Amino acid sequence: MTNEAVILTQGLTKSYGNREAVRALNLSVGRNRITAFLGRNGAGKSTTIKVLLGMVRATAGGGTVLGKQITDKKANLDTRRRVAYVAEDKPLYGYMTVEQTISFARSFYSDWRTNVERQLLRDYELPTRQKIKQLSKGMRTKLALLLAFARRPELLILDEPSDGLDPVGIENLLQTLVAQSADGVTVFFSSHQIAEVERVADHVCILEKGGLVVDAPLDELRQSYRRIDLVFPFPAPEREFRISGVERIRTSGHQMSVLASRNAEALVERAHCLNAVSVEVAPVGLREIFLETVKEN
Amino acid sequence: MFYKLTPTTGQPLYLQLMQQVRHAAETGALRDGDQLPGIRTLAEELVVSPNTVAKAYCELEHEGLLELRQGLGAFVCVKRRTRSLENDVNLARRRIRDLIEQLREDGLLDAEIRRAFEAELLYAAEAVRKR
Amino acid sequence: MLWYRFWLETRARFLTSLATVTIFCGVFVYHAEGLLRPQWKSGFNRLLFINQQFLVIMWILACVLLGMGGIVREKAVGTSSLTLSLPVRRATVLGVRVGVGLAEAIVLGVVPWLTVFVISAWAGMPISITQVGSYIVLLTGGGLVYFAMAVLVSSLVVGEYTAPAVAFGVVLLSVLVFDNWIPRFNAWRLVTGDFSIDRKTFLLGKHLPWPGILASLAVAALMVLASMLVVERREF
Repeated sequence: MTNEAVILTQGLTKSYGNREAVRALNLSVGRNRITAFLGRNGAGKSTTIKVLLGMVRATAGGGTVLGKQITDKKANLDTRRRVAYVAEDKPLYGYMTVEQTISFARSFYSDWRTNVERQLLRDYELPTRQKIKQLSKGMRTKLALLLAFARRPELLILDEPSDGLDPVGIENLLQTLVAQSADGVTVFFSSHQIAEVERVADHVCILEKGGLVVDAPLDELRQSYRRIDLVFPFPAPEREFRISGVERIRTSGHQMSVLASRNAEALVERAHCLNAVSVEVAPVGLREIFLETVKEN
Repeated sequence: MFYKLTPTTGQPLYLQLMQQVRHAAETGALRDGDQLPGIRTLAEELVVSPNTVAKAYCELEHEGLLELRQGLGAFVCVKRRTRSLENDVNLARRRIRDLIEQLREDGLLDAEIRRAFEAELLYAAEAVRKR
Repeated sequence: MLWYRFWLETRARFLTSLATVTIFCGVFVYHAEGLLRPQWKSGFNRLLFINQQFLVIMWILACVLLGMGGIVREKAVGTSSLTLSLPVRRATVLGVRVGVGLAEAIVLGVVPWLTVFVISAWAGMPISITQVGSYIVLLTGGGLVYFAMAVLVSSLVVGEYTAPAVAFGVVLLSVLVFDNWIPRFNAWRLVTGDFSIDRKTFLLGKHLPWPGILASLAVAALMVLASMLVVERREF
């Protein structure tokens, strides 16, 4: 596993009129890793991805994808050849059949794997002769995923890949992601399904209002985030706990609940020094981390 | 072997996997020379990042519990020390049982004991990590 | 495969237009022939001229419909991010779309006239193939500027229904403006044969208005080029 960045942006900004969709974003996505890109609707995830692929021009800042400048049109063409992308709304041409869509997409890429295409077609149980406009949402998602997975790109960018999939479909999707990663494909995907992210991701980026609020290996988040519930024999001394690493404090009478992104042991130490009656330390799941960091802003 | 990783506990998945392999070796579920599934296979089976499995295997190799043979896979190599570890574990369980018995007599409820244990374990883990 | 895609996309529009135009011309000429039989000569030539008038209206309508589409429209329909993610330049996408539309527009001009030719021959009133050829050249050579106009509008105006509405408006407006102010440069009259018809025999002159046709084609090419520039620079 090398730490070379497949996606790298510096001060990337994209405004629509007065609204800044992406705001001075410094993003770095490591090679051969599965990176999850989380954020609320409208946080700027899709816009970021579109800027990376050269579909939308950045207002300021810049960056590279697979070592190529995103502002360079020629290089961009080459990038699109090496990146597989599934867009948020799973766009497909409604007037084509499943079969036609696949052969259309196949014609553009030299890294197409026909055996994988056949396998996925069977796994996904797609009706080959049906028109796209007659497909259900889940079927469309599956077809859009097939078009990406049948290739062997260097980088796979998926925007909400589990949209419209049932639990079995999601499980299959995650397995495919893992298999792709094992093949050496770097995966960058956005999702609202935190439970799935928590299983497969190596690295987590949380975007809020166009900027990164969390950018860390998932293992690091698991190890350093703690919720510490304290009870004191006197009104909770909230001020004593305002140290670095404390993300949020809630007090209610003698009770206090602290969310720490690091320094949990120092907090426990402090609690013991202050004669806390009860000290409970609990790990914090990604869902809670997400909600807390996003709510705060 | 069956492994079960829980993403929501505060422990990295690779550590959980390492512990489960270690435990399997200690209990005899895995024997010397047994082959573990390949990184890709296990990652797909557990639906976790291949990097998680790779890291666990790599760390276990450092510990000497696994031998990674290029292109062949990962093989368990259990030395004699696991035998004594097995005894240690049995001894520890007996001591914990005694302690719990005592706490119950002191009037603590099981839920309270469990919370206390978990808090202390996490606290200890953090203190160790800090050092 | 982009060709294939745009063929699939415009197939329904194209085939419907082709059927409508061909059937109309066939029926119109065949029916009128019967009425004109005793005094045909110039009367029949006049009939062909009238046929061209109707055909031009329908052909331009069809061309505007064929010129619709493209990435801007896809943005409205929601498929633009698929097209844009393909490893193809936007100008290429537009170029292929125009190519397919061009071929279809030419077929839309050739087939109805050939039908008229065959029907006339079959009814025992053969017409000269040069007359038919001239009509076709006027129609496609002079008229492609309307197709290009539609392409340009489709690259500028977003909206699944606004774009065709605007395009039809622009065509109508251009015809009215040119007719009132600078009738000599009215492409519509060039296409209908107004500029080259002999008002006595109702035969098209031997010499087609080549300067006009070439100028019209040049303007069409410029419009397509402008559309390419617009699409390359546009935000999606």
